[in-house]
Amino acid sequence: MARRLVWDFVREHGWLYLVVIVTIGLSRLIQVQIPNLIGAFINQLEHHGTMASVRFYAGRLAVVSVGFVVLFGVGQYLVNRLARVFEGDLRRRLFEHWETLEPHYFHRHTVGDLLSHVLNDIPQVRQAMGGGMSQILQAVFLFAATLYMAVRHVNLVLTIIAVVPLLGIPLVVTNMGPKMRGQSRRVQESLSEMSDLAEESLASIRLIKSTANEEIEGERFRARVDAAYEEAMQQVRLNTLFQSLIPLLTGISFALTLSYGGDLALTHRISLGAFVAFTVYLSMLVRPLMQFGNVINIMQNSSASLIRIETLLKAKPAIQDPENPRPMPRRPTIEFRHLTYRYPDAQEPVLYDINLTIPFGTTIGIVGRTGSGKSTLVSLLLREIDPPPGTLFFDGVDIRDIHRRDLRARISYVPQDGFLFSSSVGYNIGFPRERVEPEELVQAARQAQILSTIEEFPDQFETVVGERGVNLSGGQRQRVAMARALIKTKAEIVIFDDSLSAVDSRTETAILQSLGDLKRQGRTVIIISHRLSSLRHADWVAVLEKGRLTQSGTPKDLIRQPGLYRHLYQMQAEGRAPDGS
Amino acid sequence: MDPDTPAGARSARHPLRGLIRYATPYRWRWLAIVGLVIVYNLTQVIQPDLVKIAIDRYLLVPHARLAPLIEIGVGYLAMTGIGLIANMTQTRWVAATGQAIVRQLRIDLFRHIESLSLHYFETHDTGRLLTNISSDTTRISQFFTQFLLSLIRDGLTIVLVLGAMLWLNWRLGLLAATVIPVIAALSLWFRPPLYRAYHLTRSRLSRLIAFVAENLTGMRITQIFHQEAKQLAAFDELNRAYQAASIAEFRWDVLFNRTFDLLGNLAVAFVAWIGGAAVLHREIPLGVLYAFISYIQQFFSPINSLTQNWNTLQSSLISAERVSEVLATEPTLKDPPEPVALPADIQGHVVFDHVSFSYRPDRPVLDDIVLDIPPGAFIGIAGETGAGKSTLISLMARFYDVTGGRILIDGIDIRTMAQRDLRRIVAVVQQEVYLYSGTILDNIRLFRADVSRERVVEAARLTGADDFIRRLPDGYDTWLTPRGANLSTGQRQLLAFARTIILDPKILVLDEATAHIDAISEAAVQEALMKVAQNRTTIVIAHRLSTIREADLIVVLDKGRIVEKGTHAELVRRGGVYAEMVQKSQLPLTSYA
Repeated sequence: MARRLVWDFVREHGWLYLVVIVTIGLSRLIQVQIPNLIGAFINQLEHHGTMASVRFYAGRLAVVSVGFVVLFGVGQYLVNRLARVFEGDLRRRLFEHWETLEPHYFHRHTVGDLLSHVLNDIPQVRQAMGGGMSQILQAVFLFAATLYMAVRHVNLVLTIIAVVPLLGIPLVVTNMGPKMRGQSRRVQESLSEMSDLAEESLASIRLIKSTANEEIEGERFRARVDAAYEEAMQQVRLNTLFQSLIPLLTGISFALTLSYGGDLALTHRISLGAFVAFTVYLSMLVRPLMQFGNVINIMQNSSASLIRIETLLKAKPAIQDPENPRPMPRRPTIEFRHLTYRYPDAQEPVLYDINLTIPFGTTIGIVGRTGSGKSTLVSLLLREIDPPPGTLFFDGVDIRDIHRRDLRARISYVPQDGFLFSSSVGYNIGFPRERVEPEELVQAARQAQILSTIEEFPDQFETVVGERGVNLSGGQRQRVAMARALIKTKAEIVIFDDSLSAVDSRTETAILQSLGDLKRQGRTVIIISHRLSSLRHADWVAVLEKGRLTQSGTPKDLIRQPGLYRHLYQMQAEGRAPDGS
Repeated sequence: MDPDTPAGARSARHPLRGLIRYATPYRWRWLAIVGLVIVYNLTQVIQPDLVKIAIDRYLLVPHARLAPLIEIGVGYLAMTGIGLIANMTQTRWVAATGQAIVRQLRIDLFRHIESLSLHYFETHDTGRLLTNISSDTTRISQFFTQFLLSLIRDGLTIVLVLGAMLWLNWRLGLLAATVIPVIAALSLWFRPPLYRAYHLTRSRLSRLIAFVAENLTGMRITQIFHQEAKQLAAFDELNRAYQAASIAEFRWDVLFNRTFDLLGNLAVAFVAWIGGAAVLHREIPLGVLYAFISYIQQFFSPINSLTQNWNTLQSSLISAERVSEVLATEPTLKDPPEPVALPADIQGHVVFDHVSFSYRPDRPVLDDIVLDIPPGAFIGIAGETGAGKSTLISLMARFYDVTGGRILIDGIDIRTMAQRDLRRIVAVVQQEVYLYSGTILDNIRLFRADVSRERVVEAARLTGADDFIRRLPDGYDTWLTPRGANLSTGQRQLLAFARTIILDPKILVLDEATAHIDAISEAAVQEALMKVAQNRTTIVIAHRLSTIREADLIVVLDKGRIVEKGTHAELVRRGGVYAEMVQKSQLPLTSYA
């Protein structure tokens, strides 16, 4: 698939690639004229040179070099530009593809892994299409042209003798190239291990100082520095070896030329000019031969990269929207019917036989410890995972028959971690909508009890959150995330996924009051929590234990029944932290 | 005047002076390197000369013979061989020296940073310090391995090539030398736009990557709010901006390199012209022209490399300045010249004798704290956020010095002790228990190789950490990471207690974790604390009042002063600040029943 992408791109830009081949090819053909010119010039001087011929050759040299440089520059620029355009396209395709995949996929792949494809594999492919292509064109044309010129204008046997040692060059490159790459990676790794240790030490400086552990840390650091030193030296050894082998091969070839070529010139089988030209040809052969080696290395690496990208693009979304979706009912009652759910790669179900009806406009709380299945319940409602057919209904319509776009247009959600983009506060709050009026931002922020905080920020709603802006506390993030959910006024169902865990109790009370407004507006509110105080105003509370619904009722009823709810209540009433944080 | 600023501006003005002393132990090595560079360059200069000799002496004479040509071929090969060996040795020596310098610099820098007072870390960005250790030292080493090397090698090449040309024919040599300023000017002129284009591409790439990273993390939010198109548009904008910068960078690159090529070829044409004329006028033999044509091309890469390394020099100097600044920083808290030798049997009797502390004179953080803690006592400190509880710890461990009064341990003022000695008697357990990348074993013994595995297991068993450690896949060899969420808050606390057992201090200061601990772990932590507290003077900064319920004495701080003292029962009965705090901690739920 990714390979197809490469071919499609090349075919699409066929004309430009033709220009590239022509310009680079021509430039090399011109380039090989230079030694020939010098040779002819020397011959002229030796025999019957005039000032006019000197000017003629010098002028010729100048014209030829302008032609060579311009043509080569154009070709090189074009092919690398195309490679960058392809790179951009490929990156976009990957991002677009990732947007179609479910959270499950992102659980299995760490962000770091996925990023490394963007950071390493895509540039690798670009290198093959840019530098690789350019180098192979240069090498092929230059090598062929130089050989032709050398054989034609100088001497076949001399060419063969001189070229044989040079053939070692691509071998050296393909042999040592990967080794040097590997070593340079090891150097980087050893340096980052050293930095990691320094980072840890700086982060734990209080601990180090309070335990008088400076000496031990110093020694640990020294060991990493030494390791980095060894790797760097190994790299130097490899690089210098490489840098010496190539001139050694050329030196041998040159010495052979001097002896045998000198003999040929001596016995007048070749002219002196041809002899001089040949020495120049020889030096021109070195580069294409190195390039052959380079290109082999680049191609190997990038085909591996291409395969990895292919695998990424092949990942299929696990959920398909129905071909003929049914409309999302207005003001729906949500109904779980004997829902049992097991994750695809798990042994045991996380939810067993859930039966729960949530009439439209009610506020329902769901309580449970970590791992009780609360979050799975939410993912099912958002259809981030597919329930078995016939288990989850909105006014009698199976959620699987509803297009996710329609479903999510009517549901709003506040995540547990209060994830925000590192953009302005206003952007984050207005995120769910195409256009937002400033008053709406203010209104949503007020409901989420974050307005006064935002007004204290240097740039109010324009203040950037995260890395380069104001760092929000956990509670503040949760409240901004809440404002983001509330601005989606079209949503008839609002889900709070344990989203009050980091706010203090006074703010919590205020937020719960504004949730009362939501209820009065006639919306279904689903609050997931392990903190019972968040569920004070719920009409109904369902208790989840190990995937089963064990209790349900009004908060008042539940306190009177023996069970998890009462247990949690008693623990939290003692002023201790609740379980399951 | 902040004491943690550089001691003298002098070292900052000559940043390299301080660093040069890292290079001086290698002065003979440097000399040898210069010698090798000369050898290498000579071989490079001689090679075209050999061809010249071949042409002029043997090929252009009427009775040519082959034997000398073979000799010249052998000579050429010998030159190549000698040159290669000299060059290889020289490059390796330069690299080895540079690496040895940077190694020593890194170690010294790290140790110096470790020795700085805590105040420094609280007022300076540690990310910056990290940059000092990793990238600044690398850039400094580039001064030696790249700039100095280039200066020696490229400078010598230019000098030798020029010398050879002048020696062959001084008039022609001078004419040819006019290309040098042209090359240099061109190279210098291109440098800034090349540099800018490079940095623009880098910064746009990192923005793009940051965007992708963030969106992969928050993909769920984008999908739930159905904003895929919006994010894709934002991606497109960054992607295109990067692409444009990258293409522009390449354009500059091509422009520069091809201009350079062009100049090289034109220089050959120029030499052909002036040299050809000279040959015609019988001023030089033909072989000299050949030599000139090859020499003139040898100017290009050294001049280019020199100008390129000019940037290296700049960045090395900036880095050197930053590093010398850190190295010039003196620790605020110094050991006394003659620290008091501590008796072997420290009892752990702590006295706060009218202790005051403030960062700024008008804002006291602690005010006239008087407290006598008998050896082995268990003391709880309570108070609202900002009451000065954590400052008390910093003073106890002498992260800061008191600004008034004194702290005595067994009657000895802690300022008269060596800091190492003090911290062997006093152990602090922080709120956030720091985990290192390493095994549980090493995390408990803090990488001290002299602490045996048995002792670690023993300590873990005593604190009750042993149970959960054994349940982990690799037991005591389980690998932990600072950010990895592999252990719960309660488990981290238990590990910290095990650490304390290993350190075996006389005085334990515990800053209780504020993060939620589940009820089961809480009981375990409480139990472990009681075990660790045995035979030690223990001071607990409490955030959950339940922890200090059993304390011998509870001290309540408010706005830097002691407002109440007594046992739990006494204080509750008194109905003061403490009693109110106890009640408040239960408030959210009482409104509920």
